Amino acid sequence: MALDFSIILRFQEALLLGLWMTVKLTLICIVLGCSLGFFIGLARTSRSALLRAVSSVYVEFFRGTPVLVQLFWIFFCLPLILGVELSNLTSGVIALTLYMGAITSETFRASLKSIGPEQLDACVALGLPRRVQVTNVILPQAVLRAVPTLLSNCVSLFKESALVSAVGMADLMFVGQNISNNTARPIEVLTVVALIYFLIAFPLTRAVTLVERRVLTKLAI
Amino acid sequence: MTMSFSAPLVKIQSLHKSYGPHIQVLKGLDIEMKPGERVVVIGPSGGGKSTLLRVMMGLEKIDSGSIRFGGKPYISSESADKKTEIDTEVRRSIGMVFQHYTLFPHLSVIQNLILAPCKVRGEAKASATKRAQALLERFGLGAKANAYPAQLSGGQKQRVAIARALMLDPKLMLFDEVTSALDPELVAEVEQVILQLAAQDMPMMIVTHDMWFAKNIASRVIFCAGGVVVEDGPPEQVLGAPKEERTKDFIDRVFHIRH
Ligand SMILES: Nc1ncnc2c1ncn2[C@@H]1O[C@H](COP(=O)(O)OP(=O)(O)OP(=O)(O)O)[C@@H](O)[C@H]1O
Ligand SMILES: [Mg+2]
Repeated sequence: MALDFSIILRFQEALLLGLWMTVKLTLICIVLGCSLGFFIGLARTSRSALLRAVSSVYVEFFRGTPVLVQLFWIFFCLPLILGVELSNLTSGVIALTLYMGAITSETFRASLKSIGPEQLDACVALGLPRRVQVTNVILPQAVLRAVPTLLSNCVSLFKESALVSAVGMADLMFVGQNISNNTARPIEVLTVVALIYFLIAFPLTRAVTLVERRVLTKLAI
Repeated sequence: MTMSFSAPLVKIQSLHKSYGPHIQVLKGLDIEMKPGERVVVIGPSGGGKSTLLRVMMGLEKIDSGSIRFGGKPYISSESADKKTEIDTEVRRSIGMVFQHYTLFPHLSVIQNLILAPCKVRGEAKASATKRAQALLERFGLGAKANAYPAQLSGGQKQRVAIARALMLDPKLMLFDEVTSALDPELVAEVEQVILQLAAQDMPMMIVTHDMWFAKNIASRVIFCAGGVVVEDGPPEQVLGAPKEERTKDFIDRVFHIRH
């Protein structure tokens, strides 16, 4: 069987549209998911037992179930429960944001925990009010320490986002699948799709290592 | 000095402190410190020296007793509900340097110094920076203003930590074994800085295991063991010719020298 990669060029535009959908979905869910994750991370270390319980049920549930199942549930069950139609994009955003919120909350929780109690002692000894302790000492360190892991969380999200093709969202994976079905050229098409994912994800994973090294050398007291 | 000469700067009365129900650390401590005094606290490991300093800094709750500072009530736990009352205004006039490095690693040296003056006192950034730079010059750290803590040696970090505390013009400085995490060759540079402060009559309470330093800096030495003050007197007495048997044992055992 002769390989003919030139057919890809005919579908360039469709693939680009699919890629744009994937990137858009990923970026939206990174912003929403990280913000959600930060507050959930705080809630999990909160003094209120109720907040701790609610947030940990949420996190454990989303970490302990397949993303594909979560997607199907949000796409098919949530509209029934709410009694409203949700667009594909809305459902995809909700599902992946909840997933991203769960995994990044663990990242934030770990980084909050890695700030030693001696930092708080220093804050008290300097008479810093609680607000200043949080905004000038704890938050910046927590975010800095979280950055490398957050970047890998983003890479995971980017890759996991391909699952939305299973519920009919026209992302890169969905478009690739369609083209491959219609042209009966799965090898060429799916290889190119894989390459596109890789060319975006690989530099990001390299960046994680670089950033990690820089953050660690900076924060090592 | 606004206070009359005889009024104590610090008056600790019947201080009790435990960690949980089983670890009783301070069992009725009474200490009085006059203005300008430099008190060195020595004692066996686990005897509660760090706990005493942490309580004085307002970092720990107490079980009972009281501390007055500059004639004002500062810390007390005397009411029935055993709540520790800490006057945070009074706390602002005390500075502390710890055994472990506590600089903020995400801030440069100069940012570490100006954070509290700007945020607590609302001092303008320019004026705080000017004072900070002058203080760093004085401690031989002028070139390190824009370095990050990770780029400093242990001795430099501790000198920065001292400068950071001084930015708030404390009326009392607490030093808890500030040189014991340092490589031996870095100890002197930190002790020199503290001796500099002593020369300017900064009141201080110092926990140290360094005999040479204790002798050179102390105007008074307190030997604490088992949660109480065992011996309290001038350095020549406590370090040189202790009256109490337990002090004698400790000095012989730990410092190996006595004269
Ligand atoms: N946060 C804590 N929780 C429980 N126990 C503690 C805590 N901090 C100190 N302790 C215990 O209290 C006792 C006194 O400790 P502290 O650190 O005050 O002694 P120290 O005189 O400073 O000793 P060292 O010379 O070793 O520094 C020790 O037995 C210690 O294990
Ligand atoms: Mg100690």
